[in-house]
Amino acid sequence: MKTLPIHCNNQRFILHPSGVAFWEDKGMLLIADVHLGKITHFRKHGSAIPQISLHHNFNRLKTVIATFKTKTVCFLGDLFHSHINNEWLVFKSWVETLNCKVVLISGNHDIIDVERYTQLGVEVLQDWELDGFLLTHHPEERQGFYNFSGHIHPGVELRGLGRQNLKLSCFHWKENQMIFPAFGVFTGKYIIKPKTNDRIFVNTEDEVLEIPLKSQN
Amino acid sequence: MNRKELEQLAHDWFTAQGWEPFPFQKQTWTAFLQGKHGLLNAPTGSGKTYALWIAIVLEYINQHPNYKSKPTKGLLAIWVTPLRALSVEIKQAAERFVNDLDVPLTVGIRSGDTSAKERASQKRKMPSLLITTPESLQLLLATKGYDKMFKNIIGVVVDEWHELVANKRGVQMTLALSRLNTIAPTMRTWGVSATIGNLDQAREVLFGVNKERLSNSVLIKAHIKKKINVLSIIPETIDKFPWRGHLGLHLLEHVIPILEESQSTLIFTNTRSQCEIWFQNILAKHPEFAGDIAMHHGSISRETRLWVETALREGNLKIVVCTSSLDLGVDFAPVDTIIQVGGPKGVSRFIQRAGRSGHQPGKTSVIYFLPTHALELLEASALIKAVSNTVVEDRVPYLNSFDVLVQYLVTLAVSDGFYPEEIFPEIKSTFCFQTLTKAQFQWILNFITLGGQSLQAYDEYKRVDIEPDGKFKVNSRAVAMRHRLQIGTIVSDAVLNVKFLKGGYIGSIEESFISKLRPGDVFTFAGRQLELFRVRNMQVLVKKSKQKNAKIPNWMGGRMSFSSEMSHLIREELYLLNSNEKQKTKELKALEPIVIRQNRESMVPNSDEFLIETFKTREGYHAVFYPFEGYFVHEAMGSLLAYRLSLLHPISFTIAFNDYGFELLSDQPIDIQAVLDNNLFSSEYLRSDLEKSINASEMAKRKFRDIAVISGLVFTGYPSKSVKSKHLQASSQLLFGVFEDYEPDNLLFQQAFTETFEHQLEEGRLQLALMRISTQTIIWKSCAKPTPFSFPIITDRLRAKLSSEKLADRIRRMTIQLEKS
Repeated sequence: MKTLPIHCNNQRFILHPSGVAFWEDKGMLLIADVHLGKITHFRKHGSAIPQISLHHNFNRLKTVIATFKTKTVCFLGDLFHSHINNEWLVFKSWVETLNCKVVLISGNHDIIDVERYTQLGVEVLQDWELDGFLLTHHPEERQGFYNFSGHIHPGVELRGLGRQNLKLSCFHWKENQMIFPAFGVFTGKYIIKPKTNDRIFVNTEDEVLEIPLKSQN
Repeated sequence: MNRKELEQLAHDWFTAQGWEPFPFQKQTWTAFLQGKHGLLNAPTGSGKTYALWIAIVLEYINQHPNYKSKPTKGLLAIWVTPLRALSVEIKQAAERFVNDLDVPLTVGIRSGDTSAKERASQKRKMPSLLITTPESLQLLLATKGYDKMFKNIIGVVVDEWHELVANKRGVQMTLALSRLNTIAPTMRTWGVSATIGNLDQAREVLFGVNKERLSNSVLIKAHIKKKINVLSIIPETIDKFPWRGHLGLHLLEHVIPILEESQSTLIFTNTRSQCEIWFQNILAKHPEFAGDIAMHHGSISRETRLWVETALREGNLKIVVCTSSLDLGVDFAPVDTIIQVGGPKGVSRFIQRAGRSGHQPGKTSVIYFLPTHALELLEASALIKAVSNTVVEDRVPYLNSFDVLVQYLVTLAVSDGFYPEEIFPEIKSTFCFQTLTKAQFQWILNFITLGGQSLQAYDEYKRVDIEPDGKFKVNSRAVAMRHRLQIGTIVSDAVLNVKFLKGGYIGSIEESFISKLRPGDVFTFAGRQLELFRVRNMQVLVKKSKQKNAKIPNWMGGRMSFSSEMSHLIREELYLLNSNEKQKTKELKALEPIVIRQNRESMVPNSDEFLIETFKTREGYHAVFYPFEGYFVHEAMGSLLAYRLSLLHPISFTIAFNDYGFELLSDQPIDIQAVLDNNLFSSEYLRSDLEKSINASEMAKRKFRDIAVISGLVFTGYPSKSVKSKHLQASSQLLFGVFEDYEPDNLLFQQAFTETFEHQLEEGRLQLALMRISTQTIIWKSCAKPTPFSFPIITDRLRAKLSSEKLADRIRRMTIQLEKS
């Protein structure tokens, strides 16, 4: 795995190919749009998505948390896809094994009762202001803060010679904001068009790469 | 009454109308009364309704001699038509006969257009003859107690069988027939089909692999031949001809005199956007036609389409610009001229379209072919010969369509439930599932009950339950409701309704197009300039606009490919290009300037030569190959060659194809010498190489989309209730990825590959093409710039991809376009 260190607001963050970022100073892992329970939700409604795929989300979470010296895991919203279902039990037993603080910034999909999270020791916030950073689900601009958010599931279309093109999920970096790619399996992406001063980092299986931006002629 | 007396009733009625029955009508009555099944080969509007409906009524009289004093209740016959538009005409004809004979039989229509009230009253009291669609028939199988409804059926007629035999609607139809045969064992099955290359096979598909049924069936031919006059529109100077392009507008002025001289003309275009453009342009340049011209395509509202059809029939419209939406359906007597813009891709379609003109007996059909680019002149020349030799194509039926089977079994589980051991032999008796194994069937049963092959921890899969006595049944009302909404095998893009801000429905439009527009943008739709106001709740709200420069929706629609018959004809025309003047048709003579240019830059191959051209442009390194085998074969051959080349060293290609050839484009030079030295056109290891190239080039992904929807893996949503189902929506692309990673042995996932092989790649044709190439001399021309032959291919934007490079290595050479500021 090749990670990529970047700076936001003069703080160092490590971008990981799985689509998460590690805030070195705070020992905090930032993860957006996991959409747990989505596969089970589909299955409950008669759509036979392979069930084993749901374990993949948890395996990836375990791996990435173990990769860093994680003190806090902060989910930037849409942790659960919909109403409560049996996948909650998997989530519960996973949370109980963790030795770190877990925070959920509530997203539009997070409709499960806050009480359930609190009982597991997961703190649920609407947003979180922390040392000049603003952590939200929906991208937001607030004077004096650098914003981390999810919700968009950003992706980009890459072009090359020979009419080649590729669509990949990405981190969308702006001067006052960074939007995270969706972490979850089976979540999809929304193709964005970056502006001149933006930066784009795409994830492959084992690498994070910054892509040069080219103006249209 | 004996058979002769019964048939005399029909004869007498014909005489009373002042008609004489056709031999095929008499043969049909006799065969039906003898208890036979059959396939009737007759074109639309030839009196086939009277052939079959009269037979059913006579059989009814035969079975119920006291029908006048003791009329029977309930359903006696089902008439299935793939085209709703035809129902009314069939109903009128059927009613006319029973009313004249004073037989107390009623006729009803049940389709997607039938109101809920009407449907409910039909359920209480079924008409004697039900005219319906394959989908509505399935919906009846999804209602409780359907077996009582169908048990006294005398006959089922499947109309326009040629339209169903080669698609999944046909599979769905034969599954329904397999059920009806058990419920009503004495029922006769009849099909009606236009002429296709494989009529005998079409009969087998209809009757299934039941030997007894097949041997008790007949094939009756109407032998109605139509005289067709084919003319091509050729400009005086070829300079006017674009090398590519598909609009044909440069010949617009040549069309005007034809329109003026004809009573009523249909202009067929190949796409809906082309239809819009032609309509706009004729009106803009010839405003005198305003009021006499209309447009007809699948995205326009039903009301408008019906209005156009009625106006055509009554002779109130001089010109209608249309797409395949008018290929079939009710006859328009006043139409005397057809104009086909651009290549029709197949002989059958061309003949069918020609037949939409000059419909009265004895009249000649007139069709003009308008080539949209230079090479289509070859098509023009080939089509003229094809029509005179009546070449028609085969329609290849589907095998093992597991997606349709999944849907069908859930349908049965929604209504009365089913027992697998009873239903298995029925399914196996259909043509499509004749090779279905017990293991595959068990797989399907597990799929609909467990959502996989074994019970897993934490699982909450819910679709079909197994009751204690072994009956498979849907007990959840939500599952049942969602299933009923999803019945059908025609999968279309997500569409949004277009409405005026002040109200008034205009039509429906693909989401993919609208999503590229912003409020304030102006686009052309249904012949109007519309400004996008906003998109909300699956509705596109628009205002009228006077702005001239409007975007025109680009409807994707299926790409059509030359049939093998057509490509053979095209090659023959091509080889004539090098021959002396005498053998050339005027179409080929018109191509002369292009031929000179092609010979200067490269060459025109003879029958014993295979041409490869290479050149470099700003876009990269091009290699263009010319097998002249049709789009589908080129798609397969292009992927195959790209795959084989990619094994030699890491390289990425994009691949473009049209009906004449294919192009490999790369950012690094393509080594043609390696193609020749390694004999990469070999037909050895064809199957396994093709399999790998399909994997690599993502071809199966497209097939999977339909499979996912038909089998209910993807829920397309409630009509106009999109919000509630939002958490259940996922793209089939996403789903494809999940199956690829976690369940690659899933039968539905595998089906995507099989279908790509059998219906997209046409492996058999590919094999023949490779063998032909192996007998030809390969001529490799290294050209300075793109040649006339290559131009239409290299400018095609729709491309397949194939790469043997590491993803990160490819990414490092790529960039992202910034948003326009």
